[in-house]
Amino acid sequence: MKKGLISILSSVISILIGLLFGLILLLIVNPAQAFPKFGEMLTAGFSSAPKLAKVLYQAAPLIMTGLAVAFAFKTGLFNIVASGQYTVGAFTALACAIIFQMPWWVCLIASMIAGAVWGFFPGLFKSLFNVNEVITSIMFNWIGMMAVNLLCMNLKNAAGLNVMLPTAWVSSPIKDRTAALSYANPNAMIPKMGLDKLFNSNFMNISIFIAIVVAVIMWVILNRTTFGYELKACGFNKNASIYAGINAKRNIVLSMVIAGALAGLGGGIYYLAGTAEYTIQKLLLPMGFNGISVALLATSNPIGTIFSALFISYIQVGGESLQPVFAKEMIDIIIAVIIYLSAFALLTKTILSKYIRLDKSNVNAEPASAAPVKPDVKPTLKESEGEKA
Amino acid sequence: MSEYVIEMLNITKEFPGIKANDNITLQLKHGEVHALLGENGAGKSTLMSVLFGLYQPEAGVIKKDGKEVKINNPNDANALHIGMVHQHFKLVEIFTVLDNIILGAEPNKMGFLKKAEARKKVLELSEKYGLQVDPDAKIEDISVGMQQRVEILKMLYRDNEILIFDEPTAVLTPQEIDELMEIMRNFTKEGKSILFITHKLNEIMAVADRCTVLRKGKYMGTVDIKNTTKEELSRMMVGRDVKFEVDKEPQKLGDVVLDVQHVTVPSKLHSNNAVKDVSFQVRAGEIVCLAGIEGNGQTQFVYALTGLDKMSHGKITMLGHDITRAKIRERSKLGMSHIPEDRHKHGLVLDFTLEQNLVLQRYWQPEFQKYGFIKNAEVRKYAERLIRENDIRSGQGPITTVRSMSGGNQQKAIVAREIDKNPELLVAVQPTRGLDVGAIEGVHKQLVAQRDAGKAVLLVSLELEEVMSVPDRILVMYEGEIVGEFDPKKTTVQELGLYMAGAKNMYRDVEKKGGAEA
Amino acid sequence: MIVLADVISSTIVFAVPLLLVAMGGMFSERSGIINIALEGIMIIGALMGCLMMRWLDPLVTNGQLGAQLGMLIATLFSGVCGLVFSVLLAFASINLKADQTIGGTALNMLAPALAIVLTWVVQGQGQTTILIPTWSRITEANFGLTLENGSFIQALLFKNFYLTTILTIFLFAIAVILMYKTKFGLRLRSCGEHPQAAASVGINVFKMRYAGVLISGFLGGIGGLAFTLAAGSGFQSSVAGYGFLALAVMIFGNWKPWSILGASLFFALFKVIGAYASSIPFMPQFKELEGTSSYLWPMLPYIITMILLVLTSKKSRAPKAEGIPYDKGMR
Repeated sequence: MKKGLISILSSVISILIGLLFGLILLLIVNPAQAFPKFGEMLTAGFSSAPKLAKVLYQAAPLIMTGLAVAFAFKTGLFNIVASGQYTVGAFTALACAIIFQMPWWVCLIASMIAGAVWGFFPGLFKSLFNVNEVITSIMFNWIGMMAVNLLCMNLKNAAGLNVMLPTAWVSSPIKDRTAALSYANPNAMIPKMGLDKLFNSNFMNISIFIAIVVAVIMWVILNRTTFGYELKACGFNKNASIYAGINAKRNIVLSMVIAGALAGLGGGIYYLAGTAEYTIQKLLLPMGFNGISVALLATSNPIGTIFSALFISYIQVGGESLQPVFAKEMIDIIIAVIIYLSAFALLTKTILSKYIRLDKSNVNAEPASAAPVKPDVKPTLKESEGEKA
Repeated sequence: MSEYVIEMLNITKEFPGIKANDNITLQLKHGEVHALLGENGAGKSTLMSVLFGLYQPEAGVIKKDGKEVKINNPNDANALHIGMVHQHFKLVEIFTVLDNIILGAEPNKMGFLKKAEARKKVLELSEKYGLQVDPDAKIEDISVGMQQRVEILKMLYRDNEILIFDEPTAVLTPQEIDELMEIMRNFTKEGKSILFITHKLNEIMAVADRCTVLRKGKYMGTVDIKNTTKEELSRMMVGRDVKFEVDKEPQKLGDVVLDVQHVTVPSKLHSNNAVKDVSFQVRAGEIVCLAGIEGNGQTQFVYALTGLDKMSHGKITMLGHDITRAKIRERSKLGMSHIPEDRHKHGLVLDFTLEQNLVLQRYWQPEFQKYGFIKNAEVRKYAERLIRENDIRSGQGPITTVRSMSGGNQQKAIVAREIDKNPELLVAVQPTRGLDVGAIEGVHKQLVAQRDAGKAVLLVSLELEEVMSVPDRILVMYEGEIVGEFDPKKTTVQELGLYMAGAKNMYRDVEKKGGAEA
Repeated sequence: MIVLADVISSTIVFAVPLLLVAMGGMFSERSGIINIALEGIMIIGALMGCLMMRWLDPLVTNGQLGAQLGMLIATLFSGVCGLVFSVLLAFASINLKADQTIGGTALNMLAPALAIVLTWVVQGQGQTTILIPTWSRITEANFGLTLENGSFIQALLFKNFYLTTILTIFLFAIAVILMYKTKFGLRLRSCGEHPQAAASVGINVFKMRYAGVLISGFLGGIGGLAFTLAAGSGFQSSVAGYGFLALAVMIFGNWKPWSILGASLFFALFKVIGAYASSIPFMPQFKELEGTSSYLWPMLPYIITMILLVLTSKKSRAPKAEGIPYDKGMR
């Protein structure tokens, strides 16, 4: 309990410092506009129901990519390939929807499978050949993005038209994005269940609830099951897990496969909302990288990812209101600073726990038995958070 | 000039939660061998680290030749001509011997290394003191004995006058130990002064002039070796009389539990085999000890036996089942328990709680899980019982993070977990490493209790005292082979030593004879 | 023939940033710090170098400043800025013992965002590309030569010739000597293998690791500029994953300078083969596909990297202590 509190507090402190840094940067760039724009950025997400809907809409895939990174962290793996998994997941969902005219839930399952495949290879390379998964991940991100673009440009229907692009469906000159679901296959759109009317926004659908349910399931798996126990044992100390008869190699692959499925699902729920089309571009999709921020800010706790994803989505929506006076990348700077600070969350935590312990030792009066604070504790991301209560 | 070359007066060093050194005084005379005696955890290494500048004491002064000095880092120590052979060698494995010797004191011109000059000096020193080394060999390719010579040469290269040896004999054969003692005496003849850290009384009696004794971080006194006995020293060290014997019931031998046939394990480091054609049996109701100097294939053999690594040839049978290729979990189900050599690498998940670690081998059993969900209440109950029965001490009981526990209590947790599995075969690798005398006695009792209950125990040990007192049978391993089998009651440390050093081989010698006859 | 000249000269110009950055990675990792932030460091180096060229542009076009002197200033400036940026990594991973991968990832996120914001500040809203002045290239005119444009020699020597190429040769030689012939190199390597051993002989592990990271910052910064020059379309707040590719080159080169040199040339060659695929006669052309030049061929270096990493993984030997924060208390 105390541990959880310290984790949350240290994340909050990182966030506050990050925001302060952003404000200072705004002041340097344009002192006159800094305060009003900063205020607008902080309040934009709550300013209206449609804005809030957008926060929730973006938070859903962020939760998924955040979970994808957090889950792999627990097994001691850094899943930077979340971006690639997200991209292939998105593409597969769209392909199932547009080419095969599947209903939305089949498309989502397909997106999970595709993401899982994209997690399988880095996991396999890591477990069989011990190739650094960060490097593999980056390679697979680029390979995934380029492969998806190629497929989008080259999949033809019987009439020889680019089936993924609008040209096959409506007369449109657009060649750099996929066809909209509204005319290609409305059945593949994630149900809105009246939420769109409630929020007065087309962005709103049930995806945020799907994401929250998945996060809770992940928490249960990690903290209540033998499978989660094995994964964490493997992440903390691979040798000890092997000694205990756990199949570490299989667990590494499995953990990356599950992580991939999570990120792939993230891609599916974002693009099946029907409000955005996949755009063919030369850069990696940022949603996967933002998943890293989400996971780190949540100290890899699946429940924590819900809140950190909401926060990051919130300030990103706020960031749009910075334009055109400031570049919206200002938000990325703030997030990067927060992550940088959370990298040494250990330090913050040590300071905080000292403070909190001082408070408590007066009541308990057992300072001698208190565990010494070891400076050589494992990196933050490997800190176990949800001990078996 | 002061009578003492080094004086450490009233040194106090604290770590969070523990006073490692509490008002300790140590005075080293010119040209003497001064032993520093104490159990594991008595504060010997901490005191030496203070002298070597790795730690700063909270209180106390250090004097060199009567003048107070400040030693803030190893450079300061070096400037005062203090050198140290660390218990765990501080050598860079991929560097050559020469690079390791000069590291930190490189002869150079404008930063460019002058290796030819260094090589000349190293070869001179090596000849002068009879410390044979190959300057161009990589550390990872040379024997532990040669690595120690490299460490000694490091001190000589720096013209050190005060030489600290931290548990230098743990990795040596009895014969190599004799050689080392001789080298130490040569050093003192040249006026060098030696601090010799150990917990082995025989060695102190053999080589030291005086001895300072520590117990639990406190100073117990300094005695002249001429005027003392082994028994008195051990009383000072432990605080009570120590039994060197282990009580055992008469042996009731049962069926064969473990049958090892022609096991060969390839080496990870070189093309040679780490374990060569090893065969033996362990029966119910006996403790068999695999003895030998560290690094002679015991580790690799145990890895193959327990399934942590693969073997290239041979067959292992346990209770009639062929387990040569069995998974670790299958071996565990058959009744094999394993107290691993390295508790941090294999034995524990340091960032798990104590209770999570106590079920590390059993979490999958129906007792602790249902449909893949862990029964937390059962785990807690089980952990509390083991903690109570085995007196495992920790800050917060079952939910303590194991990383924050002391080494002794970590080891107790592992021993408790492995023995509570009620194994048919207990593989215990250096189960008393890092424990104090009381705890060592406790572990020995538990091993013997297993034997008396009709279980098979395979003990792998480097400690000669343990080898002589605990097992019913001793197998000596040298360079991956079993070179001799002994009854501890009918052999001597000296005889074992000849086999451990490879000077003798029961089987090879027999073969030779056979060859001559044919 | 012209294609051959193009391939060779482009290979060299793309190998230069890979070599610089991979060498930077080598210094950092052999001191014990995993430097995943190289991508970010490259971006910062490229940004600052390009901005410096922009600022010097009037002076050079007026003739008040020699073009290559201007380039030297810009190059050194990008190196220094990369170095300053890498202090953030050093501080987090050495002083605060933070997780090196996370710290590096944060810097990789920070760099492109910072680059975009700064580009806006300098160039005005929405102006996201910093153009590279033409005087950045060394031409035959610099040597007083006149060569027929499009001739073999001209294409081979002067089509892609920059000051950074010359500088890289010097830096490589210095790096090799520094690593293996000096006291500094010996000490640096010991810190990445066994920092406790280094500390026991009085080496300041903190200082050596700082040195390793800062050198990687300097080389990474210059590498960023070299990449932007090679890519040729101006600076757009990205180095297209080259920082990570350089890390792969470093691993493939087994943390050793000469092998890294070979690996960078090899990777650059595949990058260039990808780029020139349509004009190389024996390459399959896939004419029926769209987007081959932007998406199919550029995949090549990444796929090759993957395959090679898998094939060479058994021989790969990373510095033993890399990624582990050094703690005086641990023995």
